[in-house]
Amino acid sequence: MGWGWDESIRAVNDKAGNKAGQIHNKPIRTKPFNKASFVIQITLLTLVALTLYGFSSFDYKDVHFFEAAYNSLVTVKTMFLEPHFQHFTFAGALKQVIVTLGLAFLTTLFGAVIALFLGLLAARNLSSNTVSVMIKGMVAFIRGVPTVLWVLIFAVAAGLGSVAAVIGMTFHSVGYLIKAYSESFEELDKDVVEALKASGANWWQIVFQAVIPSSITYLISWTFMRFEINFAVAVAMGAAAGAGGIGFDMFMASAFYYDVREIGVITYFILAFAIALEILATRMKRKLRAAE
Amino acid sequence: MTTLLEFKNVSKQYGHDTKALSDVSFAVKEGEFVSIIGPSGAGKSTLLRCINRMIDASSGEIIFDGANVMDFRKKELKKLRTRIGMIFQHYNLVNRLSVIENVLHGRLGYKSTLAGVLGLYTEEEKQQAYSILRILGLEDHIYKRCDQLSGGQKQRVGIARALVQNPKMLLCDEPIASLDPNASRIIMEHLKNISSSMGITVIINLHQVDVALKYSDRIIGVNKGRVVYDGTPDGVKTNELQSIYGTDFGKTVDEQGGQHAG
Repeated sequence: MGWGWDESIRAVNDKAGNKAGQIHNKPIRTKPFNKASFVIQITLLTLVALTLYGFSSFDYKDVHFFEAAYNSLVTVKTMFLEPHFQHFTFAGALKQVIVTLGLAFLTTLFGAVIALFLGLLAARNLSSNTVSVMIKGMVAFIRGVPTVLWVLIFAVAAGLGSVAAVIGMTFHSVGYLIKAYSESFEELDKDVVEALKASGANWWQIVFQAVIPSSITYLISWTFMRFEINFAVAVAMGAAAGAGGIGFDMFMASAFYYDVREIGVITYFILAFAIALEILATRMKRKLRAAE
Repeated sequence: MTTLLEFKNVSKQYGHDTKALSDVSFAVKEGEFVSIIGPSGAGKSTLLRCINRMIDASSGEIIFDGANVMDFRKKELKKLRTRIGMIFQHYNLVNRLSVIENVLHGRLGYKSTLAGVLGLYTEEEKQQAYSILRILGLEDHIYKRCDQLSGGQKQRVGIARALVQNPKMLLCDEPIASLDPNASRIIMEHLKNISSSMGITVIINLHQVDVALKYSDRIIGVNKGRVVYDGTPDGVKTNELQSIYGTDFGKTVDEQGGQHAG
């Protein structure tokens, strides 16, 4: 056996153009040296060099690095360990979080309804190739532009505020959900569609009687995922686009009142709601799984 | 008995040089139980699907109940499909829905779009679905989800879905290829009963020659898209089988026998 193995190695070496026996003389490399690994190494080295250069050439002015770092930590400590209400009450904050939640819910709902129909048209197995490619291309473009930018684009027409935020966030949600939905539809067994087609059912009947019931768990879990994203975006929109809600209060607390303690309160509120949403989502998914 | 279905020189071509069917001609009488046998890829499934235009034939005429199916437009095609039930190898049920919902899907072709979308069925239709399920021995499972059923039960749901259409003809595409021998026997007996007691014409694709010979009134042998045998089961001898399955047929007889387990 051993002889045969040796022989076969030699044969392989011969095929690769090496001389037999040479394999033991050179150190054996476990990773082959090729263009890809060379480029990766060069890139990493360049990044390290740039980082070092960047730190050494900062203009620190009168700020001393360690003192500044210490002061930042003190601020963070004040923010999170000594939170207090200044410009609004607990009930007020709760109301504002609910406004933010409402913004997220509304945009997700609009997005889901629109995306459901366009998602059906974008699914390759349910629609014609041209329509599918057209919708998917458009959707890729919509998703490529960040939500904040869409809000600012619509702010040109609607003015900065909640209207622009709702339209812009809905727009991006539609883009996201069309992709998610259409891919869920495409995973559907096409045999089921064939069976209903063969019994004389039309497109709408097939969609509502077979396609949606089969992919409902995916639809729900994607929609919830988008809801969580929209909650985070809605907070940011409150500050960036004046859409109201807890984000706007946070913006006021930080940029107008310089009240770090209040920022702490608001952060806790947002965190609590984000965690609550996450738990709700996990529970719902578990329930859906259990129904499988 | 009158002729229900007639193929006249039907051909089907995929692309430029793949011919799935070439010059197929045969006729099926009302109430007949016809088996189509032949090797995999011979064009059996294509032949079956040409009848209800799930696949469009390239040339020829397919006469169903006195009208040429090939000329049908959207509305007529839908009407044609409601009158032809279809049964599949993989059952093709919506797994997440209940048995009765799946059976009622057979009525969709008769309903308005809105009623179908919302799943609104009349009491009469529900009664009919229930009585068909009772004939097939599934009355205890009507609210079960389809993914909880065994293969044989799923196929019976498939048959019920086809029967609730009140079809003139049943097309069965290898209905027992995924079933064990016992379940296969039950399915075949149900199909035979349907054919003889309800007078429904049955056309069935089969891989199991012995099953085909046992249950059929007539056998159509297909090889490479051509009809090579058309006659009674009694006429099928080694010679005929060799012309259907190729000259190696004798050697593969054992594998053929083993196939109904698969």
